[in-house]
Amino acid sequence: MSAINTKIAKARMEASARQSGGGGFNWRKLSPIGLHIFLIVLCLVVLFPIVYTFLASLRPQGFGLTRDLLPTDGFYFGHYERLLSTPRFLRNIFNSAVNSLGGAVFTTVIAASAGYAFARLKFVGRNFLLTFILGMMLLPGLTNLIPLFKLASDLEILDTYLVMILVYGTFGIPFGIWIMKGFYETIPREMEEAAAVDGATPVQALLYVVVPMSLPGLVSVFMINFVYNWNDFLTALILLSSTAMKTATVGLFDFQNQLTGNNNELLNAAAILIMIPGIFIFMFARKAFLQGMVEGAVKG
Amino acid sequence: MRQKKIYPYLLIAPALLFISAVTLYPTLFSVYLSMNRSRRGTLEFVGLRNFEILFGSSNFWDSFRLTAIYGILFVTLVMIFAFILALIFNRGVRFGGLYMSIIFIPWMLSEIVSSVMFRWMFLPEIGIAQRLLGPLFNDITFLGHPSGALGVVLGATIWRSVAFAMLLILAGLQTIPGEMSEAAAIDGATRWQAFWKVTWPLVLPTTQVTIIFLTIQAINAAGMFLSITNGGPGRATEVLSLYMYREAIVFFNFGFGAALAVMLFLINASLAVVYIRSLRSQVSYG
Repeated sequence: MSAINTKIAKARMEASARQSGGGGFNWRKLSPIGLHIFLIVLCLVVLFPIVYTFLASLRPQGFGLTRDLLPTDGFYFGHYERLLSTPRFLRNIFNSAVNSLGGAVFTTVIAASAGYAFARLKFVGRNFLLTFILGMMLLPGLTNLIPLFKLASDLEILDTYLVMILVYGTFGIPFGIWIMKGFYETIPREMEEAAAVDGATPVQALLYVVVPMSLPGLVSVFMINFVYNWNDFLTALILLSSTAMKTATVGLFDFQNQLTGNNNELLNAAAILIMIPGIFIFMFARKAFLQGMVEGAVKG
Repeated sequence: MRQKKIYPYLLIAPALLFISAVTLYPTLFSVYLSMNRSRRGTLEFVGLRNFEILFGSSNFWDSFRLTAIYGILFVTLVMIFAFILALIFNRGVRFGGLYMSIIFIPWMLSEIVSSVMFRWMFLPEIGIAQRLLGPLFNDITFLGHPSGALGVVLGATIWRSVAFAMLLILAGLQTIPGEMSEAAAIDGATRWQAFWKVTWPLVLPTTQVTIIFLTIQAINAAGMFLSITNGGPGRATEVLSLYMYREAIVFFNFGFGAALAVMLFLINASLAVVYIRSLRSQVSYG
């Protein structure tokens, strides 16, 4: 029925196009070039802050202040060399890596197991628990940070990898469960049934059949959380205090606040370096990212 | 058989345990904290005194008004840009994936990295945005001017959030079958009429969801305000979330900070309820 309707619609539209053809304004034919110009300008505007910062990072100290957009004196890589040989900067990067990796692994493992229960198993309280967990996703970590700070300080785990991994790992769980649940639902049930026939226990079926098949889902949960943790700034700012434990983003914040006015170029270089992992992972797994984010927000 | 009954709960237990410890318990604990005054590390119960002080302080109402102004501007502007982009991408453009990836890059940056970039662009006298945009706004120094500083944060947060909002709206648009607008075309509807009468009602639930999502984001934008303006000049850009951070973490006023956290929590939670409701209504369309 709808196919017929579509055909009729197409025929009519062609007819009307013929009628209005000639001197009339042809929206469909004209617009692509206009659209491309619009989108290209937009992309340039979007990229501009990054490019402007990057260009300044390639100039010697103080030279960014000369107002020229492009370096007139060649590129200078000294700031990058200096940062990559500064123990404190490298230590911050290392801390970021430990916390982000630890948190993302933690989230992925826990979300993979809970997501499976919600996708496949029937049990009392299933809907209530699912609503509860997904509701937590809508409460941003922000209002929790003050009690968390107080709790962590009472438990004497402030300023440790442990507290960061636990907090990052847990913040990601609701979103992770949602993605994994959706992913498991696309795997045919027959796979587990076949495993059961072969004498596998439910746990074995999950570990050896379902988990390998849901690898793409696991990878996207892991990557989204890694980038989120890597970029986090406020949680780390509140829960970490010593120079040795601070993450790259907190280090950058301190640097920005201590700026004396003439080492903007070095600050810009640090920002560019810290930006790289997130951008790299995003470019590498663009599709998983975009899909994951839509599912997390619209269906969650 | 018994084992089968416990199995699902065993799978969910770790998630529930950690969510309860790291999200639920702190939320309840902040309600308790909000009724205490902290003095030299010890807590003293004061009932609703913190809230009394809060509602009586002009700082709170200034921050409240500022948060509302910022939130309305942020949500409106992001929605306009996001909607235009979503309509373009929904129509289908060549290299659409490439354009979309580029527009998404700011969303992949840390708040503090974005802040370094925007502070550099608006560096007084030198930054390129300061020099180009200054003459259009009475030659103000953006970061040193109350509205100017708000404008910079607004610009930076819009820059980061448009892509995500666009993605949500696009997902909504793509659930609308093509026959719908073709049917409208048969009935002699213009493109504009077809949009308002066919597309708009169908995309409305997604729009609601996106608006609520952005509102929650706006209310909690402490990170961007902290790193770009630090609430300045003076208290001109100290939004509620930043006010809370200052009181609790900088001045160690845990009770008072927690009272602010409870206020923010109530705003967020009521928005979350609306969000879940509009998602339910959206399901009935599918």
